[in-house]
Amino acid sequence: MRRTPLARRTLLLAGALLGVCLPAAALGAPTARLSGLFTPERLNQRTTLDFAFFFTAPAGQVPPPLTQIELRYPDNLGIGLSGLGLATCTAQIMEASSPSGCPTNSVMGYGEALTGIVLGSETITEVAPITILRAPDREGHFALLFYAEGSTPVDTHILFPGLLLPASAPFGGLVSIGVPLVPTLPGAPYISVLQLHATLGPHRVTYYERTNGMTLAYQPRGILLPGNCPRGGFPFAAQFSFLDGTRATAQTAVPCPAPVRRDGSSTPKRRR
Amino acid sequence: MTLLGMLAGAALVSIGPAEAHGVMRSRQAHTARAVKATDTASLRYVSASGSLLFEEGKASGTLPGSMRVHFNVGATLSGSFTIYTHGGSIKGHGEATPHGSGVYESFAGSLLATGGSGRFSHAHGRARLYGTFNRDTYALTLQTTGTLSY
Repeated sequence: MRRTPLARRTLLLAGALLGVCLPAAALGAPTARLSGLFTPERLNQRTTLDFAFFFTAPAGQVPPPLTQIELRYPDNLGIGLSGLGLATCTAQIMEASSPSGCPTNSVMGYGEALTGIVLGSETITEVAPITILRAPDREGHFALLFYAEGSTPVDTHILFPGLLLPASAPFGGLVSIGVPLVPTLPGAPYISVLQLHATLGPHRVTYYERTNGMTLAYQPRGILLPGNCPRGGFPFAAQFSFLDGTRATAQTAVPCPAPVRRDGSSTPKRRR
Repeated sequence: MTLLGMLAGAALVSIGPAEAHGVMRSRQAHTARAVKATDTASLRYVSASGSLLFEEGKASGTLPGSMRVHFNVGATLSGSFTIYTHGGSIKGHGEATPHGSGVYESFAGSLLATGGSGRFSHAHGRARLYGTFNRDTYALTLQTTGTLSY
């Protein structure tokens, strides 16, 4: 993680303008909500996984700074067969040149984080776009790098690692993400994550390959859904750890798709 | 996950331990053989569902034949195999940890032979497993080295 002098100046100015008063109780007990979606959601077909985390804290507060995310995903989800991450990028390259210096074929998805800090009685928020890239395997595990870049009011970028690890049933694995602490003002709390939304899949992703001397653009295949949907839907669960030692959990299930009729259309869902 | 042959010739005749101690047993005259073998297989994609792949191809080495593999590409690679060779087939399962990055994922692990048919109906054994997996074409190359008893 690196912060530029401009970022510090921007924050100092923001703090001075707002009158920094950081209540000791700014760190409230957080709660978390998780949502998941497959686009498109057709069994035995390729898809993009869309997931989001939402954190809430008592009114006037922001959640404590996030330090760790563990997202469990359903069994038999073909992330390894997605054709994503055919190249890798290292943290050194990204530190030096942002994701634009990485091989295009290392991009696995995009997203954005909504972050916040409490300055005086105000919560200042910032939206930071995220790029998810494949990194060289670590300790025998499929590795990811998340690159988040904020501009206003905090001009900074952060880089944080993710690992795909085994998980017990009914999950097929988990993504373990270490979230670094992002300083703001001297003596002020670290930045808090309010929301994080990301996609893992071919949506908005273009790869290139050399064929017969030509460079061809193509869209990666995407995550392969299994032929059967688990009873109750595709389960997701997440556990979040915060700097103050508190934890929050959340779970959700992506409902099974409606059966496809012979004419190729989906059976409409019943109206209540 | 897979295996290829791990058999062949060198025959070690053993007598069941029960008989060696003079305990009454049904007289099933099974002659056990133990074979050290190294084999390679090149498998191609047949079908996939979720993270499960079905592949088949040819095996060469100590035990030439054809091979079918069902395996799961998850945080680890795991699956089952059947190798069809002269005189029968061998079944088993295995697991491996990926090490590579990018298009080619190399892996290392172990496999266990748990049975079979024909002259390999008593097959059992353990082998080291190495290979590469092409994450673009799903082509799988395997090498095994170990001992098989049958």
